Amino acid sequence: MLIELSGVSKIYNQGRANEVRALTDIDLGVEQGSMVCLKGPSGSGKSTLLAIIGCIFPPTSGKAAIAERQLARLPDRFLTLHRRETIGFIFQRFNILPELTVLDNITLPLLPLGVPPKERKLRAQELLERFGISHRSQFPAGQISGGELQRVAIARALINNQPIILADEPTAHLDTTLSREFMEIMQQLKATGKTIVIASHDPLVFEHPAIDRTITIKDGRIHVP
Amino acid sequence: MAQTNLEKQINILDYALSSLWRRRMKSLSVLLVFAAVIFLLASFQMVTQALSDKAKQVLVYTPEITLQKMSAGRQEAIPLAYKDKLAGIFGIRRVVPRIWGYYFDEVLLANYTVMGMDVEEMPESARRLDTALASGRMPTPDEQGRVVVGHSVKKALDLEGRNTFSFFRPNLSMKAFTVSGEFSQGTDILTNDLIVMNLADARDLYAIPAGMVTDLCVYVANPKEIDTIARKISETLPGVRVLTRPQIQKTYQVVFGWRSGFGSICLLTALAAFVILAWDKASGLSPEERREIAILKVLGWETSDILAVRFWESVIVSGLACIVGMTAAYIHVVYFAASLFRPVLMGWSVLRPDLHLLPRMAAGDILLILAFTVIPYLAATVIPAWRSATVPADSALGG
Amino acid sequence: MRPALVFSLLLCLLLALDGVLFVDALGRRKAEDATLAQLEVTTSALGLTDLAVATEARYTRHPAVSDPMAPFMDHPGAIEHFPTGAFWLPPQH
Repeated sequence: MLIELSGVSKIYNQGRANEVRALTDIDLGVEQGSMVCLKGPSGSGKSTLLAIIGCIFPPTSGKAAIAERQLARLPDRFLTLHRRETIGFIFQRFNILPELTVLDNITLPLLPLGVPPKERKLRAQELLERFGISHRSQFPAGQISGGELQRVAIARALINNQPIILADEPTAHLDTTLSREFMEIMQQLKATGKTIVIASHDPLVFEHPAIDRTITIKDGRIHVP
Repeated sequence: MAQTNLEKQINILDYALSSLWRRRMKSLSVLLVFAAVIFLLASFQMVTQALSDKAKQVLVYTPEITLQKMSAGRQEAIPLAYKDKLAGIFGIRRVVPRIWGYYFDEVLLANYTVMGMDVEEMPESARRLDTALASGRMPTPDEQGRVVVGHSVKKALDLEGRNTFSFFRPNLSMKAFTVSGEFSQGTDILTNDLIVMNLADARDLYAIPAGMVTDLCVYVANPKEIDTIARKISETLPGVRVLTRPQIQKTYQVVFGWRSGFGSICLLTALAAFVILAWDKASGLSPEERREIAILKVLGWETSDILAVRFWESVIVSGLACIVGMTAAYIHVVYFAASLFRPVLMGWSVLRPDLHLLPRMAAGDILLILAFTVIPYLAATVIPAWRSATVPADSALGG
Repeated sequence: MRPALVFSLLLCLLLALDGVLFVDALGRRKAEDATLAQLEVTTSALGLTDLAVATEARYTRHPAVSDPMAPFMDHPGAIEHFPTGAFWLPPQH
């Protein structure tokens, strides 16, 4: 199991007047090389669960092991280092920095690793060619099309060869064609051994044949139908 | 490992530079304002230091004691007879009387300083005074109506083609003068408005009664005895103002200090500019900045990396502003003779010396300017950057 | 070219300019030393006490030997009206 959560809960602002219980008693296991979809309405705790899997913060209680690392007692710094090496993120609106070039956007995760410019360019070029957008490498990211942006976001999530890909509502702002394209790329990545978790309530995602398992989250708990 | 760390810092520097470039209009404006403030402070520092150095170098040769007569709080002519009263004081080498004052040229609105003395009475360098002249020679005591003029006087009175001019006595009769020499331009800072003549001519020009002079220059044998002798003179001649050389030299230390009116204005302007800058910086992160920080955090940037970016941005802006500001100030002072400060230094003066200022920039001077500029700026920008530590990484998730 | 390199070049350029100014200053200082001798002679022979910079008012032209009342010579409540009065301060003794 690459991702293993047992009895995980997350409480925001614990002990204060605005205390919010986002997740309660989550048990979840994701095997290496599989693709899982987290389904649920907004406010269900999907993003919180994704953040825990993504090593952004540890759970309030319970055990969370990502790539054999227990998150619960990791200080912030080590959490960040672990996240760097393990998780590739694809955000909802891609969260690209529009003034940076495509190349600079893709190689952002490599800067704090001390990777020199030549090597960064090499790694990025590989991915750009793979996704067919190498002709856009010097363009400001704010000037490329939606479909190209999507591929830039995916390339950025793969730049450090992270084993786990997390996608947060990746098709929310895409048309049907681009959504299908996205899932095709995810399928290809799964075939190369990546473990993928997608949070989405788009049927184009959770009904895709490449999805091994769909987990429904409701009111912070896993809903078993 | 060290190699990776170095590469990481250079990467972060790259990012900071490109971040500044992305917001280049704002970055440039901050840089220019900053550089202008440093330019102002550094110019002031350099001008005052150069003048102060010059004053220090030159005033070492001022008479040890100068005597003026005071009446009703104002200076008036001093009787020559006082010279005899000083004869009893041990340690006095020589007493030299002078008649000097100002002559206001109503046509040109120029204020000349007229100095009348028998130069050969001065203990030092009287014979060497000719070496300070660009042309001509000093008038001898028996030569009537001969003067040596400073460079600006020659220009003002238009003495290129001719060498005679006339001034008005108090009774409006004219006194004619002939120029026998001109001071070298290298002495401009002391002599540019000066007209030197014999004591008798000055007495005639100002209609000063016989037996009276403007002041008495007292020369002592042992400079360490100046204060003692000054005290004795005060006791012997009450109603006489006794100015010692150290007191005269101290005047210029005060004039060029930071607490002088103009110095305080420069300093307060600088501080005001920084309060404004700091307030702007401290007023929080923009939504774009918060988004950028959240994205970087999710992508694996540590809080310390993000702080490093902000730190480098501040260092780059303040460092460049410092170099540009100080270099511009130096060029302004040395090559343009501090022309922006002319109204403050020379005001409505018609006679203006060619200021050949050459400031010495010691480490202490540079540190002083840095302390009032770069350090407050770094504090004002890096401290609020800690706010970036509070931007949660998961705010990048979700819509 | 990476931004850090461009920045370093800019910095080197500025420092080179400063270097040129420094070398020029060395030459100027030599010339200044030559005139220092003339200034010394002038001060000692004429008994001068002040720099001749601000000639508009007597107390700004000769601050070292003016009495503190000089700016108020015209009238007891007179306001300073010479621009240089802000810079050339009266003696403190």
